[in-house]
Amino acid sequence: MNLRLVTAVALKEWKETTRDRLFLLLAFLLPTLWLVVFGYGLNLDVEDIPFAAVDRDHSALSREYLYKFMQSRYFSFRGYAADERVLDRLLTETKIRAAIIIPERFEEQLAAGEPVTVQTLLDGTFPLHTDIAKGYVIAINQAFTEERLIDHLRRSRGLTQEQASRLVHPVTVEVRYLYNEEVRNTWSMVPALVMFTLMLASPLLTALGVVREKETGSIYNIYSSTVSRAEFLTGKLLPYIVISMVNVCVLWLMAVGLFHVPFKGSFLFFFSASAVFLLCTTGIGLLISLLVQTQMAALIITMVVAMIPTILFSGLLVPVASLTRGARVQAHIYPAMYYTNIVRGSFLKGVGADVLWTDLVALMTFAAAMGALTYRLFTKRPKT
Amino acid sequence: MTGKGMTVLERLTRWVRRLTAMTWKEVLQLSRDVPLLLFLLYSFSLGVLVSGAGITMQLHNAELLVHDADHSQSSRELIHRFHPPYFNFAGEINDPREGLRQLDEGRAMLLLDIPPRFHEALAGGERTAVQLLVDTTNAPQGLSAASYAVRIVSMFGSEAGLNSLGFHDAGPMVLSAHRVWFNPNQDETWYQSISNVLRMITLFGVLLPAAALVREKERGTVEQLLVSPLSPFQIMFSKVLAMSLVILLATSLAVYGVLRPVFHVPMKGSPALFFLFTALHTFTTAGFGLVAATIARNQAQVGMMALFLVGPMLLLSGITAPFESMPRWVQTVMIVSPLRYYIDVTYGVMLKGAGLDLLWKPVGAMLLLGGTLFGYGMWRFRRQFQ
Repeated sequence: MNLRLVTAVALKEWKETTRDRLFLLLAFLLPTLWLVVFGYGLNLDVEDIPFAAVDRDHSALSREYLYKFMQSRYFSFRGYAADERVLDRLLTETKIRAAIIIPERFEEQLAAGEPVTVQTLLDGTFPLHTDIAKGYVIAINQAFTEERLIDHLRRSRGLTQEQASRLVHPVTVEVRYLYNEEVRNTWSMVPALVMFTLMLASPLLTALGVVREKETGSIYNIYSSTVSRAEFLTGKLLPYIVISMVNVCVLWLMAVGLFHVPFKGSFLFFFSASAVFLLCTTGIGLLISLLVQTQMAALIITMVVAMIPTILFSGLLVPVASLTRGARVQAHIYPAMYYTNIVRGSFLKGVGADVLWTDLVALMTFAAAMGALTYRLFTKRPKT
Repeated sequence: MTGKGMTVLERLTRWVRRLTAMTWKEVLQLSRDVPLLLFLLYSFSLGVLVSGAGITMQLHNAELLVHDADHSQSSRELIHRFHPPYFNFAGEINDPREGLRQLDEGRAMLLLDIPPRFHEALAGGERTAVQLLVDTTNAPQGLSAASYAVRIVSMFGSEAGLNSLGFHDAGPMVLSAHRVWFNPNQDETWYQSISNVLRMITLFGVLLPAAALVREKERGTVEQLLVSPLSPFQIMFSKVLAMSLVILLATSLAVYGVLRPVFHVPMKGSPALFFLFTALHTFTTAGFGLVAATIARNQAQVGMMALFLVGPMLLLSGITAPFESMPRWVQTVMIVSPLRYYIDVTYGVMLKGAGLDLLWKPVGAMLLLGGTLFGYGMWRFRRQFQ
């Protein structure tokens, strides 16, 4: 490899990129703006579930029971309904996601020490949210039951509040949240978003690199020049790796400065792992650029290939452990998951190469495979 | 061919013929791009299959380590209550520090620590506490696992307490009965496969027309089109038509090739209505693409702009995270996301069997949005070239 030729190709590419002001602006602006928008805007917790209620009892106790739901930050009360038919319509129109039906004689039965069944209707279109909503309902019911039981025991057996509550609630759970002690959504989101923005933006930078020259025909200058394949490909990648590395630094600064996410790991490890990851992502773009004939195809394929597996299989939203077999295999052949581990590990857990070396090795293997593939596929003597 | 002396009908047929010719040109051009076409086919068939079958977002197999300092009947009974599908017993450890190391390495998500004398305390009516360590690097999943675990332990505790009091299933308690509508079995493949089709439609819907228009600008062929007897409207609208047609075909492949036969997703409402709404959605997203295309000078720029638009659309419109829990400002900004309405419409027609009488609001919003965007794009396009 002749270093002078590599620099020449890289410089040409760099000039082309910097002359396109709008593109350059977007290349830097997109990751930063996304981190702000998603960092503040993407809330994965299920909160404010809109619900309506049918109260057939109209008693003080039924109102007290519903009040528990209205007070909870997980639910948002949208009003009383006259009967189930109204609930049906509200659910179909997606005005509400849950409905509670309190039966007649609710207060009477509870006062007499009898169990009461409260019906909940849940919108099942988003099973995860349904499941979580169901959990909230059960938790509220459990808390309300405990209050009733304590009250009942005090009256029927003459126990003190303290004694009754110990009987009803003998085991407590002390939960300690590790790595993200206050369970802040931003702490867990922002590091993953660093991965997300890099994974999406950097392949797009390189995706048009070769195919544009193919379309305009300027690639023939390269074919007839003395630049070797490896020199050309390295030169093509370099400017975009530089741009993306600047973005890594900016994203890191924003995560720490703006979102106050602690960085507990090692700088050296994080930034070198990021460089390897960028080799993977820009490599994906370059590979697609070699495989297609038109810029349009390169654009679309790169965007789908970068976006869909990253949303689904990177560990951003769903931990890889809860994927089924086929999807887990996909997650393992794609670089995003490894980098998610590295970013989250470096920011929140404060672990370094001793724990994360397997992820780094996986990224290196992927980068090497990308390098080998692009080298094999790029030929200076095309058949046609 | 000035059109003088032609009846309205003749002029209309000529107008339609020209539009059809342009649309056909776009379809032909797309069909010659073999890699793109293959990829399109893949995205709407195998891609949907993999994503639909592969993902469960509900808490699933959370790896649980146990440190049992009691080794009694009660502690064993409690441990047995943590079982699949939510939890996966990852082993017992003798030293809590060993557990912390495993959490560090990401090999387990939770560590349950049962104190000595747990059984004795329970039997003697004393209050006792178990400890739970949870990895919250992924906050929602960690919280969800913790809440399941807390629920399991407190159920266990109150059962033990109530049994000693002589209440079994009686006593003043509120029991929960749930009825889940529209997807009674909580089949997550329905949700995952449908939402992946929506993602694909949106991605292709923005990108295809945008790239098609910028390509003509980049190569200069748009000047040739403008001096031909075609109006700017015909030039732009033919691209929308052609790409919507392609996307509709791909969508029907996804619906009738994967969703219905493989995942048994119901189609409770009218399929015609669904495809009509899909066409409307592609028209609206194409509006975004066309506006971006009038700003961009080359395909690299339009790609960046499209990514910029599509990313927030996909993540914040309500298919990845619940729309109701988004901050106010996000909900306000997302008024301009066509996907936000299309989600309601799709799930409404497919799973809820809703018709136009219930869905006219989102449909009206999409029409308004699409019309505005397309009009604005047209205005910019005319201004640039005339």
